[in-house]
Parts: sequence; structure tokens; C-alpha cells
Amino acid sequence: MAPINEASTTWEKTNRTAIPYPDPKPAKNCPYKVAFEKPIHINVIGSYTSQTMVKSQSNFAVDMIVVMPASLFSEKDYRDYRYFYKRAFFLAYIADALRKRFSELDFVYTNFNGNVLLPILVARPQAQSSKKQDIETQEQKGKPLNYEIRVIPNAPEGFFPMSKLLATGSSIRRNETEDSKDAKLPTPFYNSTLKSESQFVSYLKLLHRATNTCASFRDACILGRIWLQQRGFSGDAADGGFGHFHWAVLMALLLQTGGRKGEPVLSPSLHASQLFKATLQYLASSHLHKKALVLGSAPKNPEAIRQNGPVLYDSAREINIMYNTTTWSAFMLNEHAKLSLAVINDPQVDQFDSLFITKVNQPLQMFDLFVKIKIAPDVARNSPGIFDGKSPTMAIAEDIYRTLKKALGERAKLINIQLPKPSTWKITSSSTITKLDGILVGIMCDSAKASQGREFGPLYEQKKDAARFREFWGDIAELWQFPSGEIVESVNWTEYSPLGYFGICQAIINYILKSRLKLTEDNIEFHGQEFSNVISLSPTDKASFNNAKDAFSVFEKDIRELEDLPLSVRQIASISSETRFSSLRSPTPNQRKQGATPIDVVLSFEASGKWPENIAAIQRAKIALLLQIGRSLEEAKDGIKTHIGLEDASRETENLAFLDIMYKDGFSFRLRVHSDQEETLLDRQTKDQTLDRHVRTEAAALLSSARWRSAILPLHNQSISTYCTRFPALSSSIRLAKHWFNSHRLGNYFNEPLIELFVLQAFLQPHPFPMPSSTSTGFLRTLLLLASYDWRVEPMIVDPSDSLSASERLDISTRLEAWRKIDANMNRTTLFVATPFDVTGVAYTQGIPKVIATRMTTLARSATKAAKDKGIELDPRTLFQSGLRDYDVIIRLSAKAIKGVLRDDGTKHSHFKNLDESGSSEALPLPEPPISALLRRLNSVYATPLLFFHGGPEDTVIAALWNPQLHTRGFSANMPSSFKPTGADSDTFELNREAVLAEIARIGGDMIEKIDVKNG
Amino acid sequence: MPETSTSFGDFSTLAVSIPPLPSYPVQATHYIYLRRNTPKIATPDDSRSLYLANVPIDSTEAHFRALFSTLVGAGRFESIAFEQDRKITKISHEPAQAERLARHHKKRKREDEELQHQKEEAAAKLPDTWTRELHRSGSSAIALLADEKSVDLVLKAINKLKKTKKYPVWGEGVKEGVPALGAQWLKTHNKLSYPGNAVVQAVVDAYFTVFNRKEEEAQQLAKRLRNEPDEDGFVMVTRGGRSAPARRDEAEEAKQKMLERQQKKKDETQNFYRFQLREKRKAEQMELLKKFDEDRKKVMAMKEKRGKFRPEA
Repeated sequence: MAPINEASTTWEKTNRTAIPYPDPKPAKNCPYKVAFEKPIHINVIGSYTSQTMVKSQSNFAVDMIVVMPASLFSEKDYRDYRYFYKRAFFLAYIADALRKRFSELDFVYTNFNGNVLLPILVARPQAQSSKKQDIETQEQKGKPLNYEIRVIPNAPEGFFPMSKLLATGSSIRRNETEDSKDAKLPTPFYNSTLKSESQFVSYLKLLHRATNTCASFRDACILGRIWLQQRGFSGDAADGGFGHFHWAVLMALLLQTGGRKGEPVLSPSLHASQLFKATLQYLASSHLHKKALVLGSAPKNPEAIRQNGPVLYDSAREINIMYNTTTWSAFMLNEHAKLSLAVINDPQVDQFDSLFITKVNQPLQMFDLFVKIKIAPDVARNSPGIFDGKSPTMAIAEDIYRTLKKALGERAKLINIQLPKPSTWKITSSSTITKLDGILVGIMCDSAKASQGREFGPLYEQKKDAARFREFWGDIAELWQFPSGEIVESVNWTEYSPLGYFGICQAIINYILKSRLKLTEDNIEFHGQEFSNVISLSPTDKASFNNAKDAFSVFEKDIRELEDLPLSVRQIASISSETRFSSLRSPTPNQRKQGATPIDVVLSFEASGKWPENIAAIQRAKIALLLQIGRSLEEAKDGIKTHIGLEDASRETENLAFLDIMYKDGFSFRLRVHSDQEETLLDRQTKDQTLDRHVRTEAAALLSSARWRSAILPLHNQSISTYCTRFPALSSSIRLAKHWFNSHRLGNYFNEPLIELFVLQAFLQPHPFPMPSSTSTGFLRTLLLLASYDWRVEPMIVDPSDSLSASERLDISTRLEAWRKIDANMNRTTLFVATPFDVTGVAYTQGIPKVIATRMTTLARSATKAAKDKGIELDPRTLFQSGLRDYDVIIRLSAKAIKGVLRDDGTKHSHFKNLDESGSSEALPLPEPPISALLRRLNSVYATPLLFFHGGPEDTVIAALWNPQLHTRGFSANMPSSFKPTGADSDTFELNREAVLAEIARIGGDMIEKIDVKNG
Repeated sequence: MPETSTSFGDFSTLAVSIPPLPSYPVQATHYIYLRRNTPKIATPDDSRSLYLANVPIDSTEAHFRALFSTLVGAGRFESIAFEQDRKITKISHEPAQAERLARHHKKRKREDEELQHQKEEAAAKLPDTWTRELHRSGSSAIALLADEKSVDLVLKAINKLKKTKKYPVWGEGVKEGVPALGAQWLKTHNKLSYPGNAVVQAVVDAYFTVFNRKEEEAQQLAKRLRNEPDEDGFVMVTRGGRSAPARRDEAEEAKQKMLERQQKKKDETQNFYRFQLREKRKAEQMELLKKFDEDRKKVMAMKEKRGKFRPEA
């Protein structure tokens, strides 16, 4: 035995292995001695021995404990890091010996569970570290190379005096000379670390016993392990400090005790999944973050276990199991347990996937607001955590958490801090270079509460609380008098109100971190708003949506007040996305603006025998009704102009006309009439076996489009509108999702209501995540939903109010199976989305070819993968970028010509003189955007050979793909497209691509600037 | 083209050269396949008409007039009927009553009446919203020529083209009057979609004058037929007899009520006797077993599909 200083200098002189002393390093003049002696025993512990490892683990570690003999230590060694210095020396000795013995292994130091007091030795096979770049390829081959052996020195069982190491006790007394107050600060973390050092064996026994008494304990451990792993929890402090070990110990203890009267919570006869669920239940119902939990008999002195952070006290071993768990991760653990329990109790969702398969540890999918904080090295110096033996990063993270928690209060539902991953360091240097990395704070906001402009504190009269409030907020605290006369302390953030909740939270965080923790603004970086900026969403949009809704109510009233209608009005329903908070562009009343769309309205009358009994005649009768309504409206109200417009109908039995009603300086509406009689007649036709088949299919198509407009859309409108007010983030998420579909040129296949359903579904079934509370999470979760949605085999059932019974759900699934049987190649039906108001499942998804559906899935998958891999570094704009490389044909339109079509030049077309006479000398009412008209024509002309892609109204490119199924074929008089002979003398024919493109060029005329064709 | 190909049969190929456009500067060739028209149901004009397959999508009568005059000189071409014009199913505008009666009671139409009807129909037609129609890609048409000789001439001229390779140019020699496509076409479409309330009102009025008159006539006829036996001695039962027939919705309502009554009766007699309860339990058990079996199959299928369950990394 030699005094520590002397020993370490001689050691370092003679050996190349460094001694991993924890900070602060031992003082120069310490008298106590260090040495190496043969360990009492060596044992392999952990999940390797208990056979609870799983394949999906990121690395496989075999834990090996080396119990140091008691003779090395003296009684007072629990104080002032002495034990840890001796342990470090012991470890260096082992490291040196092993290094000399096993040259084929790489040896590094790391901290045990991120605890800087406990360095350990890690041995890895050399091949792995030298070929890091090959790891990926090796993983693909399925070679397990990711293993390591961890050598953990620890103290003999029962060595330390428990009474000295209570949570309230103070074991570090070095600052006595500087400041007497510091000396008395309790050091719960340090004490618990010491206590845990002598309990490895005891816990090994506990787990062993549990495995023996409870048959499915091991399986339940594996379930727990995967559950924790998918949520990013592990024993490492940076990952929360609650890993599979803690899970196993918790279960083992709950098999013995834990109930209200000390009875066991779990029974050994339970099945593994039951054990798992019961443990989750325990975690969900225990408020770890608020209250200390005691497992076993109550401690003699309840105060003695109290400490900051979560407490799960094992009274048999007198230790807080969760001493290394951070407060925020205890919160997260509780939240996740609650969410998972909700999943278990909900029969409608895929429990297995959301519990064990989905990777939940994705910050972008979880949090709304991110703060990246760079920490200057000196900031952590005065943090209380430092004096408790914690690492500086951990100490400052705790300070930040406490401060933000208090400052944000109810504005934040969850705050999580992501710490930098623990590092290993070579055994030739004594410790890692203590560089302070940035930490990442993820905040889930309660957008309703967070957008509150003013923060109210305690009453002015409550002096003590008020003083504390003022102390916390500093200069900006002010007094606020309510109309009732009450005076409260308050802080004013209303100047940030126009920026929405994000702006307010940002201001609060900026201020409080600066004033309380002396962090400067250049050290703080905010993320999360980028998604909203993609389409410049603004909090004021809500008002313009409300304007549109109000305008519609006025319109409805105006119609209902008309007296001279031949039939009585039953319902007037708006079916435009403008009136359900979900149109991509917020509605503007300026109707003259180019491309302004009217609000679609459907008017249905009470059932009446007055309708003619002929579908074509009904269509004409509708026109007559519209004309009458228009006349009456113009007479009854000032400032209303009406125009009858003709639909682009190809048959007399389709709806033929609509009425545009334009309010002066207001919104414009497009009214269509619905007739029950028409539906009855069509229904009769579809069922009439005596009719020709094509007549019946035609009637079925007309019937479904009539039902879509008159029955489904009004209900859809209502429910989306309701849920947009109930879930504040829904509206903006829908709009962003629409933009995503548009920017990938899928918008012309996926109609708006369908996209709305997708997003709504992501909100209704957010499992395993909590309900999205911001645009970014809502949008990303939608993509996640689409990425995992296997439309080939499963229906999507969007049931907001849980009104579908189990048998109805079963019916829907059966219907999908039936569709797949009839149409196995999915030529007609691809996606299958059912709602309570459309149980057929195909109303929303008509006209989506398989290629398009597959493309959606692929795009969603790559987007979610980018979000997962890049985390907050992700630039959201990249998700909305779409190249033109994938398309065969690119039709570039001339922006000038488009504008020219929409601009009214006043000249009349000479060809139709009669029109000029009929008094239509005014400007065009509501011109249809030329691209959509052109696209519609192209689609009808080239339905078979080409698949057209087009984004939103701003997109001036129409892209197209050739149908790969149009092979070279023999001649038939009825070709699906323009064909040409393959050679001069052959009798096979192939698609005449040049001629088709030349035709498109002729159709487009001056609208088309250029047609580009992909080579090859 | 060799005449050996069976499917190709007696079609001859007419290559039409398509001039390049600034937006698509490629010289393309379009192929029209044509033969003598031999429809299943013969018409008097068959001998002097040609069946054309794969006509260009922007074809008009003027285009084909020009095309045929470059082939065989002016004056040979009479008219052309495109696929969509021929195929459209005749949609009845007759009131239901009239239609029902018409099935039993054929009324001979006089020629002047026919003419009158045509006039009325034209007045009741809604204005077109497009100045020029497009045809489906690969669609067909039937061209009517002046006489049989013209048909022969055309086919001969096409055969000759194969040697000279001097293909006619599409759109060349088309006289004025074919409305342009492109921006102008779309713009006019927007205008034509709003023909003005007065115009539409006039059309609708014209339509319902006819429709109401037909309804009236049908009623008159029905009244007359009510007491009139036909040649076999049967008297037709028509609407509007002594007791008015039930309206359709009323009938449906009544049916609904009846069904409900039946259901109620059925419900009342169930779960009463012991054997009923026993049978019900048995059925439930069977159902459960069946469901369990189905679920097991489903899990198997899922396992097969995914390989092994693997947590996402």
C-alpha cells in the first residue's frame, strides 16, 4: 500500500495505462492509500446470464463484476470520493493486466450507466473497431459483431454503513473551508452510488429468485426490455437512467410487495404479457415524478429517503433504485406507460405494433418545440448537481429542466432533455476530455394554454408567494388588476401573441435562460417552427376561416328566407374545404383575385312528388330551380349577382348546371341542387336486371357521385370542422399535408377530403405517441401513418366518434377482402378508406391507380426515414422537394398564357355572336383555372396510355408517365391509344409516342412552352 | 403491309405526317388504319363509307375534308361521324308514363311531326361549352364519301403512297373556321360555361314546354286506353284509375313498416323456450370457435407476410 499520490505517479511512470480517477482528481496531500489485491470473487451478471437479451439490441454486453476485497478499504472511505479513487486505481491495475494478456481485444474506459463516479473497463473484439465503416455491410450479412465485455469493479456486500448514506446525508465535505453552507448540502446521488456499489450481488440474487419462482418472469423482462428500447430508455443516464435492469428489479420487487398493505402486486402464476401489462399499470398509476414510492416496509425515517428527482425505494436493500434516473425521464416513463395502457385498453388499434414494433424514440414525431443549448464550460460550475458527484452536463441539464418547468408551467405538457451520448476513452488517458456538448430540450406544448399572452402569478396579498414569483421572473414581473379588484403578480408576453404559442414560448425560454442561467442568445437555438414556415401558416388564418364560415351562414339564411321557392328547403350544406378550416390557402373574400375558388354548396329539398320521373328531365328541372333561386336572390338582396354556369358534362343525365352567387365584397358560392328523386331513379336503374350492363354501370357511377356530393361530403364537412376546433393543430396539419401531396404532384389523384381523413386518423389514433399538438408533429405523424399503412390488406377505418360497431367493422374488412378477390391486381380499387358515413370504403378513393398509391407509400416512407435519421437537423423543405427525374414526359406550361386565359380582355369571340347579345357583356364570373381544365381534357383523352401528375394551382408543370402495360400488340380496330406499326413489314403495333406528344402539343397550343421527354 | 395478317385483315395504313411545333419540335408520323365499312347491321350508305381506326384526337370534319382532297381531289368527301358521336346512348327525355305506354302502344309518327320535334329538341339543347371536341386517343370514325368509286380511289391512292412516301400533312389545307385549341380554346370554354341566365332560361323553358306537353299527351292516351281493349282483348291497367295508385315512396314506407312488424314478431317469439336458449348458446359457441380459428389463420398469414416480428431500429 502506498499513499495515493505516490502510487499514481509511480504507476503512471511504469505503466502505459492511466488511472481513471473521477473529477475532482485526488488532492496532492491525501494520506490514504491505494493498492491492488486479489478480488474476492468474479461473477458474470446481467441479462447475459439471465438470458433476457434480444436480437434487436444495438449492442450486446456481458457484464462481469469483480468484487474488491474489504481489506483495501477503511471505514471512512465513503467520504470525499475516497472509495472511488481506490476503485479507479484497482480498475487501472486490472486494465493493464488484461491489456498485456489479450492483445486481440481493444480495451477502453467508459462510465457505468453514464455515472462519472464509476468508470469501468470495456473489452471489444478488435476487428469491429478497426473496420467501423464496414459495420453496416456486416450487419446486412447478419454477422453479430456488436458485442463487448464490461468489467465492473465493486465493493463487497454490506460494506458501507447504510445509516451514513441516507439521501439526506452529506458525504462530500471538501468545501468546508470555502463556504460552510455548502458543507451541509445533502449528497443523495453520491450516497446512492456508493450504496449501489455493494449491491450487485444482492440484486443478482433477487432476479435469480424471481426467475425461479415465476415461470414467465424472463419473458416479461424481454417484453419490458423491448418496450423500453423502442422508447429510447436505457440504464444510461443520458437515455433516462431507467433500463431493463430497473424494469427487471421493479418486477421482481412487485412479485414480493408493492401493494397498499405490502401485498405483492404481481402473482407468479401470471402470463408474461399479463406481468408486462401489470407492470405498465404500476408505472402509469404511480406518480414517480411527484411522490417517493416505497417498495416493502416503510423506512424508519420517511424524510431520509426524500431527494430531488424520482424515488423508487427498495426498503430491503435501503436504496433508491432510480437514483440515476432523471426527473424528465420519470415523467416520460409515466407518460409512455399511460399511452401504452390506453393502447392495451383500446380494442380498435394494433396493440402489438404500437407497443413493441414502432420506434417511439423519435423526437420530431414527439415534440413541438426544440431548444438546442450550447453550454459554456463555466456555466455548470455553480450548479448544485456538481457537488453531488454528477457530471457537469447532467448538472446543468437538471438546472435547465427545473427552470423551464417552472417558467413554462402549464404551457408545456412534457419537457424532455436529450443529453449527449456517453463516450468511451482510451485506457491510456485518465478521463475523457470534458467537452460540454450541446443538449437538446424537446418540449411538447399545450397550444391552447401556451398561446395565452399573460402569465398570472399569486395574489399580491400572499406576500411569500408573490416575493418568490418576483424573484423568479426578475424585473419583468408586474402587478395586474382584474376587473373584480383582485391584484395578482403577472408577466406580460402579449407582444409576442401575433407569433402564436411558438413565439410566446420562445420569448419565455429566451428570457428565463438568460436571466436565471446566464445563457446568452447565441447559445440557444430554436427549432420546430420550420414546418409551419413551409407554407407560411399564420395564427391569424383561423379568423379568415371563421369569416368564410360566417359568410356561409349568412348565405344559408338568405336562401332560407326566400319565399317563392316551389319546394321547401331541407338542408343547405357547404362542402368546400374553406368552411372546414382545411383549405390549403386561407379563404379570402376577394373574389376577383385570380384563381379564387367559390365555396361549393349543396341544396337539398324536402322529398316531393313534383320532380319529373325522368333523370334527364330532373337535371333540367334543377336548372330551372337554380334560375329561380338566382332571380329571387337578386331581387331580395342588394349586392348579389348570380350567374348560371354549365358543367362540363358529357351526358344529359349528369348534373348540368350550377349557380354562382357572388356577394359584393364578400365570398362567392357555387350552388348545386340535389334531388332525392334522381337518387331513387338511379338506384332503381342500377338494380334493374333487364337493363343493359353499360347502362347499369353508368347509373352506378352517377349514383355514387350524387351520393358523394349530397350525403357524404356534407357530413364530412361537419365532422372535419368539429375536429378542427377540438384539436387546435389539426387544421394546420391538414393544410401542410395537402401541400405535401401537391408538391409531389399527387394532388390530382388524392382528393382533399381523403387527405383530411388521413390527417384526422393520425390525430384519432396517435398510438403509441400522444395526440399531436403542433403542425410539425401532426404532419409527420400523418406521414408515419401513411408509411405504415398497408393498403393492400387492411382497410383504414376513420371513426371519429366511435360509432361503428364491431360487426360493422368486420363488414368493412370483409368488403375489402371481397374487392381484393374480384380485383386481385387492384386495377380499380386500391386504397380502402371507410368512415361511419361511408361504409362502402371506396367513395373517397376513386381513381387512384396502384402506381400512385405505391408512390405515396414510398414517398411517405422516405420522408419518415429522413425525419427519423436526421432528427432536428432535418430541413423540412427537403420533404417538399420533388424532382422531375422520375417522369417520362414533362409538359412545361407558359405562365404568361395561363395569366392570359384568366385575364379578361373584354373582346368577344366573334364566332358566337348570339352570346354577346344576351347581355353577358360583363367580366367573366369565376373562370376555371386553365391548367385544371386542360388536365381534365388530357386525362379523358389519354386515360390509358399516360398517367398525368400535377401539383397545386401554382405548379406550371404537368408531368406524365407512360403506361408500362401497353405492350406491343397485334392489330385491333379498337385501340386503347394511338399505335404505330413496329416495322415496315410487321404486323405488330406499338404505342406511337411521338404522335401522342405531338397531339398534346397541338391541344395545348400556346399554353405549352415545351415538352421534354426523358431519354432512353 | 402484308395482307397475310389475319387480325389486320383488309385494313390499309394511311401515314399522316405531323408537322413539328415549337413546343415539340419533332417530326412525327401518325397512322390511320382504314378499310371499307362493313358494320354488322348494314345501312344503305355502307358501300360509300370508310371505317377509320386511330384517328388523331383533334380531328374535325374540316381536317378530313382537307386530307381526302389531297388524296383524291376535292368533292369526294361528304361527312364524317366520330366514335363518341355514334356511341352515345340515346337518352330518353320522355316522361316515365309516356315511356311505359310507348312500350305497348306504338304510335306512328308523321313526317311533319318529326320535323317539328327536331326543331323543338334543338331549341331545348343547352349550348356547348367547348368550341371544339377532342376524341379519345385511338378512337375510330366513319367517313362518308360521295360514291363507291371514291372509296376505291381513296384506297388506291393510299396504296400508291406506300411507294412514293409522300405522306399528306395533317392540318394542311384546312379551311378557316376550325376553332383553335390552346389558350384561346380554354379561354372560350370559360366564357361558354356562362352562357348567361337568360339564354339558359329560354332553353329550359323550351324543354319543359315539350316535356309538359308530352306528359299531357301521355295522360290523355292513358285515359283513352283505360277502357280500350287491344287486339287480343286485354285492357291495359294504367295509372290514374278510380283509386289513385300509391306513390312509390309511400309504398316503400309501407314495406318498411311491414318488415318492422315482422321483425318485431320474430323477436317476441325468441329466447322463450329452453331449446331456443340452448340453441342460441350453441350457435354463439360455434361462432366463437369459428372466430378463434379465423384469428389464428390471420396471425399465421401475418407472420408469413412479415417474416418475423422485428422491432424497428
